[in-house]
Amino acid sequence: MTEFKDLKSKWEQQPEVEVPSNGLEDIIKKITFLKYKQRIGNVVLLTTVSILIGFFFYINAYSNGLVTFALSVMIGSLLIRVILEYVSIKELNQLDVTTNTSTFSAIMARYYKRRINIHYIFTPIIMLLYITGFVILLPFFKSSLSEGFYTYILVSSICILVIMVFFIGRQIQKELHILKQIKH
Amino acid sequence: MSTLESNFDQIYKDNYPKVFRLCQGYTNGNEILSKDLAQEVFIKVWQNLNSFRNDSSLSTWIYRITVNTCLIELRKKKSVSIKGHLQHLEEDYEECSVEKELQLNQLYRCINSLKSENKSIILLELEGLPQKEIADIIGLSHEVIRVRLHRIKNELTKCVKQ
Repeated sequence: MTEFKDLKSKWEQQPEVEVPSNGLEDIIKKITFLKYKQRIGNVVLLTTVSILIGFFFYINAYSNGLVTFALSVMIGSLLIRVILEYVSIKELNQLDVTTNTSTFSAIMARYYKRRINIHYIFTPIIMLLYITGFVILLPFFKSSLSEGFYTYILVSSICILVIMVFFIGRQIQKELHILKQIKH
Repeated sequence: MSTLESNFDQIYKDNYPKVFRLCQGYTNGNEILSKDLAQEVFIKVWQNLNSFRNDSSLSTWIYRITVNTCLIELRKKKSVSIKGHLQHLEEDYEECSVEKELQLNQLYRCINSLKSENKSIILLELEGLPQKEIADIIGLSHEVIRVRLHRIKNELTKCVKQ
């Protein structure tokens, strides 16, 4: 008959674990890489903002009030989305893993609830703003671009939108699953 | 090597085996995944070493980080299959050794069928930690841990027998 002490002895009989000889080096390398990755993230974010602002001035968008408004809405909504993601990732990396498991699970649950709120409230508003900006720009595209290029922009934008909705949907599902597991 | 690095190296050497084994409990004994998790744990140990205040022992503090890291990282991943691990064993080992490993895998499987908090409690118990330390790591009272452990042990024993 199996008793718990038999299980414990089975557990204790597991082979000895060897400490990796280059463990410390690997950890220091990975920490350096993480810092580097974070710095790259900041550079990419700043470059994106600069390019968008540069593009805004390059096409003289400020000379037409409606175009200025539409482009500002599109750029603004994209920026808000990027900043929200950036803050979320930073927040996730700063969760206090040194606290006890019950407190940590509660912190995690709060974090994922906030994420779900972002997905259900902010993401649809941001997407709606982005689409509104794009739709306002369509007549300007039609009048200034060739018919072929206009059709290309229209079709590719719809495709991008569908792909984006698909990926955001998957991400929401994944995070809902995590939240369910935390409560389990 | 700086003083910080040499201190950390000592902490790493002293604690790696128990961190790795605890991670194995969360990954159905998957070595590659356990190695990745153990590395992730020590990255967090390094990043938080300055905030360690001696409120608990260093070992308890590292166990807390291990449990939390395993829970957060494994939630991000799909469930870990035990099948591939078993096939590999059947190919490589003698019959007696395979039998032993199969029993251990049955134990892993049963541990992984437990609720996440119960899983952490029983893994710490199997590692031989005193109930008071388990209570400190999990954040529940000693009494609750004592009662819960009794129930989990019965559940686990019943599952392994099946």
